Amino acid sequence: MRRLSLGSRLALLFAACTAVVSLTAGILFSRASATHFIELDQQLLNSRLSLLRQMLEGVDSPASLAPRLPALQTELSHQADLAVRIGGRDGRIWFDSQAGLPDSPQVVGLSTLHASGVDYRSLCVNLNDGDAQLTLFLDITHHQHFLQRMQQLIWLTVGLSALATALLGAWAARSGLRPLRQMGEVASGVSARSLTTRLPEGQMPVELAELAQTVNAMLERLDDAFQRLSAFSADIAHELRTPLSNLLTHTQVTLTRPRSLDEYREALHSNLEELQWMAQLVNDMLYLAKADHGLLMPSRQQLALEDEADALLEYYAPLAEDAEVKLSREGQAPLAGDRHMLRRALSNLLDNALRFTPAGGEIRVTIEQREGLVRLQVANRGEPIDPALLPKLFDRFYRADPARREGSSEHAGLGLAITRSIVQAHGGSIRGESAGGWTRFVIDLPTV
Amino acid sequence: MKLLIVEDQTKTGQYLCQGLSEAGFATELASDGNTGQHLALTGDYDLLILDVMLPGRDGWQILQAVRAAGLEIPVLFLTARDAVEDRVHGLELGADDYLVKPFAFSELLARVRSLLRRGSSPAQETTLGLADLRLDLIRRRVERAGQRIDLTAKEFALLELLLRRQGEVLPKSLIASQVWDMNFDSDTNVIEVAIRRLRLKIDDAHDNKLIHTVRGMGYVLEERGA
Repeated sequence: MRRLSLGSRLALLFAACTAVVSLTAGILFSRASATHFIELDQQLLNSRLSLLRQMLEGVDSPASLAPRLPALQTELSHQADLAVRIGGRDGRIWFDSQAGLPDSPQVVGLSTLHASGVDYRSLCVNLNDGDAQLTLFLDITHHQHFLQRMQQLIWLTVGLSALATALLGAWAARSGLRPLRQMGEVASGVSARSLTTRLPEGQMPVELAELAQTVNAMLERLDDAFQRLSAFSADIAHELRTPLSNLLTHTQVTLTRPRSLDEYREALHSNLEELQWMAQLVNDMLYLAKADHGLLMPSRQQLALEDEADALLEYYAPLAEDAEVKLSREGQAPLAGDRHMLRRALSNLLDNALRFTPAGGEIRVTIEQREGLVRLQVANRGEPIDPALLPKLFDRFYRADPARREGSSEHAGLGLAITRSIVQAHGGSIRGESAGGWTRFVIDLPTV
Repeated sequence: MKLLIVEDQTKTGQYLCQGLSEAGFATELASDGNTGQHLALTGDYDLLILDVMLPGRDGWQILQAVRAAGLEIPVLFLTARDAVEDRVHGLELGADDYLVKPFAFSELLARVRSLLRRGSSPAQETTLGLADLRLDLIRRRVERAGQRIDLTAKEFALLELLLRRQGEVLPKSLIASQVWDMNFDSDTNVIEVAIRRLRLKIDDAHDNKLIHTVRGMGYVLEERGA
């Protein structure tokens, strides 16, 4: 079944409301008129009744009635719409002032009757202690006609007003829902190539502003993710291009003429280095991709962070000694986390610090326990870093010096990105600081 | 030692076969799941190397069939996928190890040797040695040509690993994992430096060098003659 549009739905609801309101008003009005007519009739009949009672004083049989009939008829001839019936208690009719009157209602009081196409209001009373019954008939056909006309009018009004509000409602709904349609148009215009389109939040009505905001925020995130994805793909291609071209060139050059066994061996070794570098890159990227998909699920073992830090410092000790860099650790804290992942994260930071600490320098690992979190800092003496660049250090493939990528021991620039992913998988945060000749990476890990 | 490799990628399968054969193993190659399963159940192998994605039936199904038949052969999985569920799934089914492509051949070789060694009861040696190098596990002392050598705890652990697996090329990642418990691929040259320092103490004063670098693969402790 086709679903009703919002506009039609609103128009129909408007029409129904108007119909109900005008119908109610009409019915009330028609009831009030009917009651009013009854009151008028009653007054009229009552005034006639007192006169007739006088004239019929003492009548208790057809015989006693006969002498008064001429006066009665004269009186009635002044009243064209009034008819009179006089009868006995037993229901027999002694006198009808007109032919074609309806049967008596038999009950004392006011009734509405109908006979031979004429409507009557009748008033029935007992005369002279109940020996005779007098019924007055008032022709109210014109009243009934009026009421019928009014009913028709009411139905007409109901129908017309419903139709009118349906049309007006449709128009109102259409113009009222214009921002929604606008939203739809903008949304339908969004594609991978035009994620920059935004809904005009300021021009939206209050009810839609929030939705517009949500949609805009979603577009923002999509745009951001898409930009990063595109940049990432471009970066991957770029990163792989250098080792691939090295491999191609080197292999082709080697094969152009016969060479000594040692030369072949050397060529294969060189290729192996490039290939290992590429394999490492691909593995690191898969790791990051896993992190992006929320698949990095750290186990929660109880760890003494100082032990992990010491294990890493021991691991790096020979390298640091060679580089004449002093390593130290201060503080301690327990933490529930994934040992391998945290070691990897810290290892990347130390590796990075060792790379940028000049000979005679120092690297300090500090562990602090704070309210609800553990703060782990890796600080090294080194060149100050432009504060604007600090957040970029965690971007994939970011290198302080873009021209640098020589030798297979060089990181592809994914180390800090991996560290951040691991920290985030643990629910923590990482930031870089540079002040007073120290470069500092600060990791905050929640203890819960 | 007889190995069965089930791998549908022709090149990968051939290179694995060649590499493992040259490392001294008898190898057989099956290139689809059904053949693989048939061979695994009927042949008498010491180790299975299974790719996960295979035509016919996948590596997990083969593993299930093997375990259902009551065979306790160690099984090493090779896969291009690295989803945690996969890993868990494989281990639940009774896989013994798991390598994600791309992997280094030296890494595979080291793992294969570990798995094959697992079955045999470890010899309760108190000393390890090669040529004139002696390592006393109880007194934690090292001598070369009768000369006492002082080693740090990690250097001792490194030398012990090299001695226990003498003749095998040990990739850096394996050394980092076994000696320092660093179970991730890092491309720092920490291991290089550590080996250089160990060499300085063990080899430098002697003509008969024992620690050798296998370029691009790792390190090996063996006697190659002067």
